[in-house]
Amino acid sequence: MRADLKELWRFRELLWAMVERELRIRYKNSFLGFFWSLLTPLMTVVVMTLVFKVFLKNDTPNYSAYVLAAYLPFMFFNLALMDSAQSVIVALPVIKKVYFPREILPLASILANFVHYLLALCVFFCYLFVVWAASAFQQAPFTWRIAFLPVLLGVSLALTLGMAFIISALNVFYEDVKYIIGVLLYLAFFLTPIMYFSENVYYAMKGWGNLWLYYAYHLNPVAELATTYKKTLVQPGKIDVAGKLVDPVPQNWALFLVTLLTSIGILVFGYWLFNRMKWRFVERP
Amino acid sequence: MSEAAILVSGLQKEFLLSHSGVGSLKTLALWWKRRQLEHLQVLRGLDFVVTQGQCMAVVGRNGAGKSTLLSLLARVYKPTSGTVEVKGRLAPLLELGAGFHPDLTGLENILFNGMILGLTRKEAMARTDAIVEFAELAHHIDSPVRTYSSGMLARLGFSVAIHVDAEVLIVDEVLAVGDFAFEQKCYKHIESFKASGGTILFVSHNMEAVRRVADRVVWLKDGQIEMDGEPDAVIRAYESG
Repeated sequence: MRADLKELWRFRELLWAMVERELRIRYKNSFLGFFWSLLTPLMTVVVMTLVFKVFLKNDTPNYSAYVLAAYLPFMFFNLALMDSAQSVIVALPVIKKVYFPREILPLASILANFVHYLLALCVFFCYLFVVWAASAFQQAPFTWRIAFLPVLLGVSLALTLGMAFIISALNVFYEDVKYIIGVLLYLAFFLTPIMYFSENVYYAMKGWGNLWLYYAYHLNPVAELATTYKKTLVQPGKIDVAGKLVDPVPQNWALFLVTLLTSIGILVFGYWLFNRMKWRFVERP
Repeated sequence: MSEAAILVSGLQKEFLLSHSGVGSLKTLALWWKRRQLEHLQVLRGLDFVVTQGQCMAVVGRNGAGKSTLLSLLARVYKPTSGTVEVKGRLAPLLELGAGFHPDLTGLENILFNGMILGLTRKEAMARTDAIVEFAELAHHIDSPVRTYSSGMLARLGFSVAIHVDAEVLIVDEVLAVGDFAFEQKCYKHIESFKASGGTILFVSHNMEAVRRVADRVVWLKDGQIEMDGEPDAVIRAYESG
């Protein structure tokens, strides 16, 4: 694995060029270009806010900011995985003819998506600022916890990369993989506190009398990441659970540590698996 | 004797040929037991050394393993056993313009392809003018390559490949795409590349071309070296049987 990493480092310029190429190609023939990737989350949040605040009468203050804080990272995870699943198989004609470290392919599509994600986060902070300004600079939009954002980004990236290595390698041999991933990501969207809050899960489980399901729910790294993003990026306030405004459940750092270790584990395993399989890509039966 | 540029020893390559074509989990499940995997022995132990400045041609019938050999040299495949060693920078011309993206302009593709072949961004930038000039594409270089004709693509691909300052060129029957004038230009370039001490290994079915540029010919038959030596002698033997 060490030799593989060294080889990858030797080709880093190609990786940057590949990321740049991905970004360039994506919107080359579209009029609105990059704004498409901002328009989608914004429209989603408008619709979600309408549904939850107006139709379902959820009274949580800052509801839209909360949704965005978890929806943007989830969308990064989702889009990056769907993109990278195809990254190797699409490039088969090329890698049959020239050599370069094959892991550059999934890496480039993840990093290109990561750039989009970072830009989307900028839009998110603009939104927070506008809300702050609208409230005549009363309550600060976020707390010192924001300093934790780089760690969150790192964990998101590690998890996504690891999954992408596994998925893109398997998808070369079994093309069902991308469909399975599509279904799982769709289900993950509902099993992740994006439209609702981890507090909903917490109080529902407390009502049952045991909290183990609440912890089990957060063993899923995507769910734990969404919870932590919400608690990191938005000033914590009262949350509407079943019609009552309740105090937020404090961030559980032990659960986050589990997610951090899981993500690193997935990254190492994914990279190992990819390297084990990469020489057989061009020889697939 | 000059130094070795390509060292091949005990090179074997085996492919797994599947008759069921496992490409999905369904076929894997259905064919789990009955999956027939045929071991196809394509190269059965090759040993040879190409010295610096030599131009070696590989001839042989279809399926003899010529392209597999080139792919192994280009590091597209990993050998089943044995080793391949190439000293110095290698430019594989297994397919001209492999890695060109249709939506990018000629210029963007030059940079990108140059980097695939091992240049840094700076080096690739510095060479764009020479590449465009050699490919005779000055008027089209800012259009996306999907608008190019196949001849233009071939010219651009060849031009990039020869400008990466390779010490070893590996060519797989790709020169037959340009028009006559460009083909002549390519041969001229190959000769000057040889004269400056570059090493070439190429595959061709065109015996005239082989006689023209090669100074050593290897005849591959069923994955083994049938004959290795002077072009005239090997070609005569190959053509007579």
